[in-house]
Amino acid sequence: MAGNVNHEYHILEPDIWPFIGSLSALTFTSGMVLFMHDMPSAHLVLGLGIAGLIATFFSWFSNIVKEAERGDHTPIVQLHMRYGMILFIASEVMFFVGWFWSWFDFSLFPSEISEVVGGTFPPAAIEAVIDPFGLPLLNTLILLCSGTTVTWAHHSLIHGDRDGLKKGLWLTIILGAVFTMIQAYEYAHAPFAFGGNTYSSAFYMATGFHGFHVLVGTIFLIVCLVRAYKGHFTPRQHFGFEAAAWYWHFVDVVWLFLFAVVYVWGGWGAATH
Amino acid sequence: MATTADNFQAHADHAHDDHADHKPGFFARWFMSTNHKDIGTLYLIFAIFAGIIGGGISGIMRAELAEPGIQYLQFWAEFMGGTPDFDTALHMWNVFITAHGLIMVFFMVMPAMIGGFGNWFVPLMIGAPDMAFPRMNNISFWLTVAGFVSLLFSLFVPGGTGPGAGTGWTVYAPLSTSGSSGPAVDFAIFSLHLAGAGSILGATNFITTIFNMRAPGMTLHKMPLFVWSVLVTAFLLLLALPVLAAAITMLLTDRNFGTTFFDPSGGGDPILYQHLFWFFGHPEVYIMILPGFGMISQIVATFSRKPVFGYLGMAYAMVAIGVVGFIVWAHHMYTVGLDVNTKMYFTAATMVIAVPTGVKIFSWIATMWGGSIEFKSPMVWALGFIFLFTVGGVTGVYLANGGVDDVVHDTYFVVAHFHYVLSMGAVFSMFAGFYYWFPKMCGKMHSELLSHIHFWLFFIGVNVIFFPQHFLGWQGMPRRYPDYTEAYTFWNEISSYGYHIMAFSMIFFFVNVFYTLFAGKKVGANYWGEGATTLEWSLSSPPPFHQFSELPVIEDHHDYHDHIGDAKPAH
Amino acid sequence: MAQDAAATEQLESADPADVADVADPEAVSAGSDAYTPMAPTEGKGMPVAGGWDIQPQYSEDGEFAYGLHYGLIWVMAGISIFVLALLLYVIFRFRKGANPVPSKTSHNTLIEVIWTVVPALILLAIAIPSITLIARQYETPPKDAITIKAIGYQWYWGYAYPDNGDFEIVSNMLKEEDDPTRGDARARTDTDGPEQLAVDNRMVVPAGVPIRLQVTAADVIHSFAVPSLWFKMDGVPGRLNERIFQVDEPGVYYGQCSELCGARHGFMPIVVEALPMDQYNAWVLAQGGTIAGADEEGIEADPSLPPTQEPESAVEGAPGAGAAPVA
Ligand code: HEA
Ligand code: HEA
Ligand code: CUA
Ligand SMILES: [Cu+2]
Repeated sequence: MAGNVNHEYHILEPDIWPFIGSLSALTFTSGMVLFMHDMPSAHLVLGLGIAGLIATFFSWFSNIVKEAERGDHTPIVQLHMRYGMILFIASEVMFFVGWFWSWFDFSLFPSEISEVVGGTFPPAAIEAVIDPFGLPLLNTLILLCSGTTVTWAHHSLIHGDRDGLKKGLWLTIILGAVFTMIQAYEYAHAPFAFGGNTYSSAFYMATGFHGFHVLVGTIFLIVCLVRAYKGHFTPRQHFGFEAAAWYWHFVDVVWLFLFAVVYVWGGWGAATH
Repeated sequence: MATTADNFQAHADHAHDDHADHKPGFFARWFMSTNHKDIGTLYLIFAIFAGIIGGGISGIMRAELAEPGIQYLQFWAEFMGGTPDFDTALHMWNVFITAHGLIMVFFMVMPAMIGGFGNWFVPLMIGAPDMAFPRMNNISFWLTVAGFVSLLFSLFVPGGTGPGAGTGWTVYAPLSTSGSSGPAVDFAIFSLHLAGAGSILGATNFITTIFNMRAPGMTLHKMPLFVWSVLVTAFLLLLALPVLAAAITMLLTDRNFGTTFFDPSGGGDPILYQHLFWFFGHPEVYIMILPGFGMISQIVATFSRKPVFGYLGMAYAMVAIGVVGFIVWAHHMYTVGLDVNTKMYFTAATMVIAVPTGVKIFSWIATMWGGSIEFKSPMVWALGFIFLFTVGGVTGVYLANGGVDDVVHDTYFVVAHFHYVLSMGAVFSMFAGFYYWFPKMCGKMHSELLSHIHFWLFFIGVNVIFFPQHFLGWQGMPRRYPDYTEAYTFWNEISSYGYHIMAFSMIFFFVNVFYTLFAGKKVGANYWGEGATTLEWSLSSPPPFHQFSELPVIEDHHDYHDHIGDAKPAH
Repeated sequence: MAQDAAATEQLESADPADVADVADPEAVSAGSDAYTPMAPTEGKGMPVAGGWDIQPQYSEDGEFAYGLHYGLIWVMAGISIFVLALLLYVIFRFRKGANPVPSKTSHNTLIEVIWTVVPALILLAIAIPSITLIARQYETPPKDAITIKAIGYQWYWGYAYPDNGDFEIVSNMLKEEDDPTRGDARARTDTDGPEQLAVDNRMVVPAGVPIRLQVTAADVIHSFAVPSLWFKMDGVPGRLNERIFQVDEPGVYYGQCSELCGARHGFMPIVVEALPMDQYNAWVLAQGGTIAGADEEGIEADPSLPPTQEPESAVEGAPGAGAAPVA
């Protein structure tokens, strides 16, 4: 900025993406409605919405990266981003609180009158649950492991070891991808279908939203990896990486709760598969 | 946060540089804005627009309720593209109250208070050049618009018994799931998703801005109370809205993908939805009033020419209201079949909130006590607020008694209660804030005469509308009814008369706005005089496009009340 | 403790003269087919034109609650007037003309403590009767209380009498004489009650005895509410809510569905007709029901009934179930 500016905040130029982004969000949600009701043009509208959202995210974050490289992200601006990210994660935690709330409601007070539930939890309709100490345990270890590899990457970054950064990131991403694949396998082979009773409703929605977060986190890490190859991060300034790492840890912690509450405790005493 | 101060180099002898006033072209300025004042303006225009629609719908409602029988609903059913049969007509009633409630809550009060006044004045009051995330600020606004459009879509598609979503603003399952086929309810649910996402992003923006961008020397305990109020509100938004998001997502999957969260045949529980909704919903009512508290504090201090009495008590009372607000939600559910201990707990917990709220009421009065009060328009609205909010608050305490609520729950007594705190509390504080800051925002003075006429007519109007509704509720008239038995005619008729007075008063408001914009006298930086001591009064009216390129400094001798008086140069 | 004491009281008071002759089976069969719907008493159990207060109460909990309501009116009015008086005082005393130089006072610990503690004490004073009221409302009905079940449907009520042979009454709103919109419903007459409130088949209950009222719903949430009995309980699909319900004296008491349940939410009124026990029994017989554990040939449960779950307190088939309590 010209003139006497004695602060280091980031004053932005006008930008069209917020407008396009919300338009796309509206298109997306409207497309969802059309889709859910088998109405005409559903796929077109939905597709447009998703494309618009992807374009928005892509350009928006590209712009942020450009601004960072240009040096707009002064220490105070980086502090803003830290706050922003922490608060965003806090709101995500509350989102998961909603899903856990329903899980606890269903498991602690199983319905007696519903034939599919029959007063027990897991419900009568659930013939077998997924053995928590099989693939879920493996997935737990994978995520825990990925937590350490991302920390490894971070340490390498701080100590100027780009190679270690890349390796750590590669490993984390691979572990994330393996997690997702195992999760997909598990869904495909689960002994119960989606919906129809409380257990499988809450199970799939909670773990599904977690899975979605893993996916987002993995993409976030991939972006960081690309940026690492471009030489973007410095030992002193690499908030993009840190944000991805925080997000990853958050996703990790949610999983630990899911594993303990949904897989182990929630399926206690039931036949496993 | 020390960071700002660390980077700070004072050049107090320079005026605001000219570059600060370069404005982008029309499209870029209003559709691509990254400027907190422009975004605030957009929010305010949007809120007024939504207020007209929401207020217009309430006019249709009051017309229908003016006498027993179904008068106009058939017409509206046809008008909205439905059939004019009896059930569709009745369904239209539910669509109207749903749209009215949602529009007033999500698209009038919240955008006006937080998006509008919050965006405009939080950065000005803390001495910041803009919000922390200017671009995100813009998407918060446009997501709100997107939410509104989605709600409008819902009006024109089938929603079960007729066009539109007729679930009430609370969207209770199973009425909203198996009870309403058709896409309308889905559009309404997505409307809340969109507006909610906008609000969550807005909340992170406000919290970050307030924590990190205060001018050097402005500690949290020197911050104006309006900023405190927005800070607490933002936390409530941040923590409450995601739970609503989860709840309405469950509605969606129950409706469309075969989950059974709220479907008893699959073991689900309709009451679970109510818990999730009110865990959000109760904090939501404080979201709608806390910024109002903040504005009233600024205004009362300004026009009494006295510092706010008990500043810390005022700030922490809001914090207390926010915290306790999270553990009282089931007072909306006294009749669902809670067990006895739960009901007793929520009765006791709910009443606790009266204590910090009382601290606020009495502190405002104590601020005026010993003051030298000028009755400018913002002040009369503030005085109206204090009294009418108290009336609404004490009826809240009445409702808080679980055993008593059994007789008035879901009657017009509740409707009276929440319109006293909303249509009088929140709306009075909005008008107070509007008259307080409108000249600051547009650089021209409104007509004090018109604002006073607006006040008196509006004051009489809303009281005539809503006071008799207490009586209707006590006599047992249930809410969400388009028709009623003869005995309820008298008070309903009066209530509908009141609507005319209120509507008439709004003419003065709109005339005043246009008068100000086209013929108002230009005003200087501080048109309220020595009582106005926060930083926005140190800037021109309207403020430069980018203010505080040089950060102001809050010196040691500036206390919480006075941020501009006797400022010594920074070096 | 306090709860138990109150329960005993309740039982004793449930023994007015009109209950006494129930034990005599002859009295029952004598009145067998004598049932004609009772004409409502103007202003009793219904809203009155221009009325502003809670409707007069015809249940003991209602009378107790009415006292609390009355006290709360004073508290509400008192606080509102107090705040208004303070406002008017500062408006006149500290207007610019009267007080040109403002003081700078911004703290006074004593006054701040007072306005924190005094409201807290007022709330405490409210909380005690308030909690007592809740405890009373949640007393478990005596084991042998008659069970009646109200079931909300879109958009009418069903009343089932499981202790009386499990028949179900279907209760629809009556239409007005000249109303073309509501097809086959019978037209209302004045003996049915006020328009919008009258129904074809009422929920008939015995007066003066505690009843175990269960409320549920078949489709969406409804709410069973009778203002003059201080009673409101939601009927939630998949849940069986249960509460003690007692009408002091014979009469017709009107109520309306009080949870938004779709288009005709405003068109599914509730009418409770309380009769002396012998007439109640007569009514039951007239409906083809059974009384007082005589034989078990009652009508089978309607299979279209929504599934409901039994709360622990509802002890099915307890000895003497369905009989009037004989104290
Ligand atoms: C701005 C919005 C707002 C605010 C601030 C409040 C404030 C309060 N509300 Fe209200 N409420 C609503 C909006 C709001 N409410 C809405 C929208 C609904 C209906 C939702 C729906 O169903 O659609 C509702 C419904 C509602 C119910 C449910 C009723 C029912 O459905 O049956 C209850 C029950 O406890 C309640 C209680 C309270 C209480 C105790 C307060 C307290 O915070 C009030 C505290 C204030 C005071 C008490 C006055 C000032 C204090 C003093 C002067 C000190 C001295 C006072 C005493 C000692 C008492 N409210
Ligand atoms: C903030 C919230 C708000 C506001 C302001 C209002 C305002 C009004 N409301 Fe509403 N109302 C609700 C929230 C609100 N309401 C809710 C949540 C419900 C429950 C819905 C449900 O059951 O699901 C409800 C229900 C409701 C009912 C009950 C319907 C029923 O149960 O069947 C009635 C009936 O009379 C009613 C009437 C009115 C009237 C006459 C006004 C009038 O006061 C309207 C006058 C208009 C205004 C006061 C707006 C003016 C403002 C502007 C033009 C913007 C100005 C902007 C700036 C200054 C920046 N409302
Ligand atoms: Cu049934 Cu409302
Ligand atoms: Cu509340």
